Amino acid sequence: MKLRLLPFLGIFALSAVGHAKEQQPDFVDHDTMLMDHGNGHLMNMDGGMVMGQNKEILPGGCKRISDNKELTIKAGHKFAKPFPGRMFAFDQQELRYKPCTRLTIHLINEDNIRHQFMMHGLPKYIYPRGMFHLEVTGPGKISGTLIFPSGDQTFLYHCDIAQHMGKGMKGQIIIGKGSGTLPSIPGISALAIPDSYDRQTIEKREPDEHVVPVEKKSAPLISGIFVIGLALGLLVAPILARRYKGMTASEIGTDVLSLVKSGASGILQFISWLAGLLGGQKKEF
Amino acid sequence: MIVRFPWTISAIMGCLWPILAIAQVDLPSTLKVEKGTPQTICESGIPSSWRDAQIIDGVDIQESRICNPDDPAIIAAVVKGTNNVSMKTFMEVGLAADSIIKKDDIDGDGDPDRIIIKLEVIELNGYSPDFKGPDTTFDIAPGIQPGMWVFAPKTRGMSTLDIESNQANPLLRAPSPVIRVEQGDSVSIVLENGHYFPHTIHLHGVDHPFVDSSGEGNDGVPQTSEGLVMPGESRTYNIKPRQTGAMVYHCHVQTHVHLAMGLVGMFIIEENRPDNWVQTLNIGAGQVRHPAAAIREDFNQEYDLHYHALDKELHSIIQSANDPRLIAKKMNREYDLTDSSEDYHTLNGRSFPYTLFESLITVDPDEKVKIRLFNSQGETLAMHTHGHKATITHYDGIEHNPAAQITRDVYDLAPAQRMDLTLDTTNDGLHNYGEGIWIFHDHREKGITTDGMNPGGNISAVVYKKYLTEEGMPKVQGIDLAAYFTKEFQQRSYPVWQDADEWNSLGEVDTTEKGNRETADGSVVSEEAHNVNTPQTDRNSFRNLFVGLLAGLLLYFIIVRREQVMKLINSRMNGKGVDE
Repeated sequence: MKLRLLPFLGIFALSAVGHAKEQQPDFVDHDTMLMDHGNGHLMNMDGGMVMGQNKEILPGGCKRISDNKELTIKAGHKFAKPFPGRMFAFDQQELRYKPCTRLTIHLINEDNIRHQFMMHGLPKYIYPRGMFHLEVTGPGKISGTLIFPSGDQTFLYHCDIAQHMGKGMKGQIIIGKGSGTLPSIPGISALAIPDSYDRQTIEKREPDEHVVPVEKKSAPLISGIFVIGLALGLLVAPILARRYKGMTASEIGTDVLSLVKSGASGILQFISWLAGLLGGQKKEF
Repeated sequence: MIVRFPWTISAIMGCLWPILAIAQVDLPSTLKVEKGTPQTICESGIPSSWRDAQIIDGVDIQESRICNPDDPAIIAAVVKGTNNVSMKTFMEVGLAADSIIKKDDIDGDGDPDRIIIKLEVIELNGYSPDFKGPDTTFDIAPGIQPGMWVFAPKTRGMSTLDIESNQANPLLRAPSPVIRVEQGDSVSIVLENGHYFPHTIHLHGVDHPFVDSSGEGNDGVPQTSEGLVMPGESRTYNIKPRQTGAMVYHCHVQTHVHLAMGLVGMFIIEENRPDNWVQTLNIGAGQVRHPAAAIREDFNQEYDLHYHALDKELHSIIQSANDPRLIAKKMNREYDLTDSSEDYHTLNGRSFPYTLFESLITVDPDEKVKIRLFNSQGETLAMHTHGHKATITHYDGIEHNPAAQITRDVYDLAPAQRMDLTLDTTNDGLHNYGEGIWIFHDHREKGITTDGMNPGGNISAVVYKKYLTEEGMPKVQGIDLAAYFTKEFQQRSYPVWQDADEWNSLGEVDTTEKGNRETADGSVVSEEAHNVNTPQTDRNSFRNLFVGLLAGLLLYFIIVRREQVMKLINSRMNGKGVDE
C-alpha cells in the first residue's frame, strides 16, 4: 500500500515525513506516473524519463516483430565490484537479440543518484536523434520499449552522465550476428586506451586540443655552413693533391688508412697514459 | 701551371670571403606568424532576445547586455523552482525535474520557505578510455582545458551538447553555481555523488547546526561530523540560516586538492522580504538577473564575482589515467601542494578573453551596483578597478560599521574570504571618472596571465553601455582583440606585438634560414620559413659542412682536370649525337 502511494506523493511527501526519510528513500517505481510529451518522450516530476520509446513502428526491412523480449537490467556502484578499477556498472555487459525484436527494458537503479541506459545509432526516422534513453534516480525503476532494426548490428548502451561510461557503465547489445565488439566493456573487451600500471611510465597524456600540428620540413642544403664547407674543400684540395700526386687510388687508400691508424693509436696511447697516471697512484698504496 | 692553380683559387676565395662574412653579420629577418582561426564561444547561436529585460512565468528578468547572457528560461526555472515553473519553460532547460524544489510558504509572506536543492559532482575535461583528448569539455580560454570538478545542478539527459559534440552542456560548467536562499528558509542541500571519488559539502560561514534533527552530521567534515559520501550515495544537509551575507560551500574531503579542483562555490543568504523569490542558483556566476527584493531596494544591479586559480599539474592528473585508484594515488599521495604554483587564473570559471563574453559588468552612469567578491584561489587576491573607487560594505558577509566603511581601488581578499562592494557610477572624480571601458583585474600580476601569457587570467571590465556593441562586446579602440581568441596566442607561438607597426619591427625573428637558431617552442610559422628543432639544426649544420667539403674537393678536381672533363663531356655529347 505504502509503495503504491509513494510514486504519487514523490519527494514532497518524503520531505514532509522528515529528514531521515530523505537520506534513505524507499524504492520508487516511476513507470506509473510518467507524462507523455510526444515522440516517445515520457517524463515525471521525480526525475524519471524515457526517450525514443517505440512499441509499434516497424523499422525498414522488418516484416513483423520477430520476438517479444523483456530485460531487467540493474545499475549501480555495487555492480562494479567484479571489475577492479571501475566505479559504476550495469549487472550485464552483453545482450543478444534477433533482428526486429521488440524489447521492453526495465532499468533498476540501486544507487541513490541518477543513472541512465542510453543507446545511439537507431534509425532516425523512428527514434528522435537515433536515440533510446531511460533515466532514473535511485533507488527506483523505469521501463521503456523499443524495436530493433533488421540488420546485424552491435549497439552500445551506456550511462551518459559525465565519467560514468569511462568508469564502467558500458555494454553492448548484439543484434543478429552483430557488427563487431566494442572496446572498454568491463569483462568483455580491453580499454581502447589502456592505463599504464608501471610506476615509471605513468605520464600525463596531452589532450589533442593542446597540440598544434607542426609541419616538419627538412632544412635547406644550400646554407652558410655549406658555403664554408665548399671553401674549406677548395682550400684543402690542392694540399691533398700535392700529397697524393702521382699515386694510384690503392696507394691513396693505404695512406689514408695508415693516417687514420696512427691517429687512432695516438688517441689510444693518450688514454692508456691517462689510465697509467691513475693506476700508478693506486699501486703506490 | 697546375701547381700554381690552388693559389689562384685561394686568392679568389680570399676576395669572396668578405661577401660570405656579410651573411654571418647580417641579422635574421622578421617573419609573420600565422594567427590561426579565432575561437569564439559568443557566436554559438544565442538569440539576441536573451539579452533583453523580460518576464517569464511571472519572473522579472533584468537585461544582460553581454555577449553570452544567461538563458532567461533557466533564470525563470531556478527562481520558480523546477516544481513550479511552466511545463513549456521546464522543457526548454536541461534541469532535472527534482533539481530545485521550492514550496511551503511557512511564514505566509508570499514566497516559498522550504527549499530543496540537488547538486551533482561533474568532471569537466576528464579522461575517456575510448578516445584521445578530454571528455565533457569546458574551455577556460581558447584551447585551454584543465581537468576540473564542479558541483552542478542536477540535470537530465546528455552531459554534452549533443551526440556529435564533446562539449559540456551549458549547465555543466565552472564555477560551482552560486546558491541563493532567503534568511530563515528551511534549506536542504542534497549532494548526489555520481563522481568516482568520495565528497561532502561543508557550508562555510553559513549558519548550520553541527548535527541535524535526526542526529546526522551536518558540517561536511568527514572526520568529525560524518563519513564520506561515497560514489553512488547521497547526503542531505539541512539548514535554517538566521544570518544574512555572502558565504561559501565546498567539499571537505581531501580539501587541499578537492577545493582547488573546483568543488567550491558562493552561498548567499538574502534578507527576508515579502514576496521574495530569490534566484536560487546563479549558474556560471556573474550578473544576477533576478536580484533579491532587498538588493533591488538599494541597487540597480547585482554581480557575483568568483575568483579561482588552477595549478596545471594538479588539473592534468585526471587526464592521465582512467583507473580511479591510479588517480587517487597521484592526487592524494604523489601530488604535493606545498610545491605547487597556480598557472590559470579564472573569473567565474573562465580566463581572458572569454571573460569578455561572460563577466563584463555593464552599467549606465549614476547607477549603484552590488558586487559580491569571492576568492577561492590559494593566494591573496588584490582586485583593482580602473576608473572607479568602490566602497567595501561587508567582510565575509558581515556588514562593516557604516561610518567606517572604506572606499578604495584595490580590494584584497585572503583565500576563502568574501567582500561586498558598492560600485557607484556617478562621475564625481572619486567613485567614477566618467564613462568608458574600465578594466578590473587582480593586481598580483600573475593573476592577469594564463600560464604566464598576458593578457590572460582574470582580466574583465566595467563597460558603460555606450561602449558596447549590439553583440555585447566592448568597442575597444586599442589593439585588435582577435589574436587573443586563438590557440596560437594561448600556446605562446604568436608574438604579442606582431604587426604593432607598419613593418612589424617587434615580430618573430626568422631563425631558420640565416641564424640556424631555434624558435622558442617549435611553433607554426608561415610557409616561406621552416620549423626546425635544435638537434635537427645541429645535424643539418654538420651535414651541410660535410657536403660542402665534398663539393669543394670535387670542384677543385674538375677545375684541375678541366681538359679531361671537357673531353669526356664532348665525347659523350658526340657519342649521343651519333646514336641519334
